[in-house]
Amino acid sequence: MSWSDARDLLRLWREDNERKSQDVVNLWETILSKNIFKLGDERLLVLEQVCLASLDTNRLDIADKCLQSLAAEFPSSLRVRKLQALKLETLEKYDEALELLDSIIKRDETNAAPRKRRVAILRAKGKHSEAIKELTDYLKKFMSDQEGWQELCDLYLLEQDYARAAFCMEELILHNPHNHLIHQRYADIRYTQGGFENIELARAHYSLAFKLNPSSIRALYGIFLCATNIAVSPKATSPKRKEATKLANWVIKELSKRQERQNVEDSQVAALEGLISSVQLAASA
Amino acid sequence: MAKAIHKLILLSGLLSLFHAAYSAAQHRSYLRITEQEFVSLPIDILTQGIVSLFITLYGVMNIAGDFKEIRATVDLENKSWETLRNIPSFYVFNHRGKALSPNYIPPSDEMD
Repeated sequence: MSWSDARDLLRLWREDNERKSQDVVNLWETILSKNIFKLGDERLLVLEQVCLASLDTNRLDIADKCLQSLAAEFPSSLRVRKLQALKLETLEKYDEALELLDSIIKRDETNAAPRKRRVAILRAKGKHSEAIKELTDYLKKFMSDQEGWQELCDLYLLEQDYARAAFCMEELILHNPHNHLIHQRYADIRYTQGGFENIELARAHYSLAFKLNPSSIRALYGIFLCATNIAVSPKATSPKRKEATKLANWVIKELSKRQERQNVEDSQVAALEGLISSVQLAASA
Repeated sequence: MAKAIHKLILLSGLLSLFHAAYSAAQHRSYLRITEQEFVSLPIDILTQGIVSLFITLYGVMNIAGDFKEIRATVDLENKSWETLRNIPSFYVFNHRGKALSPNYIPPSDEMD
């Protein structure tokens, strides 16, 4: 692989937030470390990416070298100091890392990155409730930070506080109304909460996710589960039940069409037939 | 990435465009000197201008890189939750990946 292909691959991973740390480190060792100066403007971004990846895979030798080059370029940069705090985190020296981050925050109150690292340290230590408290304080100041809302949703899910997790997901939906994955995850949370209204809401969002991405099989299965749940629920009125059974039948037809298209093996076809028979049982109930 | 041939095409398109503009200006000053009425530019200058416009367009399109889809939903279709859930600002490093590196020293368990 040539160095320009490696550089393009790294750029792709950087923009898509792919956490392929071992591959990044391998690419660095085999190709890029010799050609580092051919990268031009991207050199510093690549150094940062490789530093992060080497911390992820415990290659502290590479991390040290990257940090040295970065520190030589920008001796008093707060971003480089944040990376040094990351290195302390990897070594599990959390108190020193927290001190370093506090000094960065004092130097620049508007810098969001060290505050986020504080939350990550609390999460790494296992102190979820404190992490949640710190993150909610952060979000009161930096209200439009999507990453913060996503992380808060994750933390609430770890604590099984589904109502608040759903609230965080709603914030994310407001920021990205066209992103089918966020609708799907929101529907997942609502379905997990249970209860008739939540399942109707889940069905609405699964349908929206399917509308935004017609190739999303997860959304189809989600619609099926919600529809079957509504069809047997005691709170549903009769027209709603009929609509739900029709929807479930339609989903099954869609799923079998897609399976034919992909030539799926027999065990999965059998599973689909099981689904169909369960719908017929529910419809006759 | 921009190949040399496309850069060459772009350069020649721009030069020919500039040349057409210069000859048009020269033509008008000639008409002013010979006191003829200005009706329209000669056909060869017009065609040179239009052709060099298309050459420049072609060169710019090849140099500028691929077009992105206008519909926001289409390029999300290939993404999965696995990549969307990664937030680099919140990465935690105390996972089992440490054990896979060559520098790993397993903690010694001393059982009494």
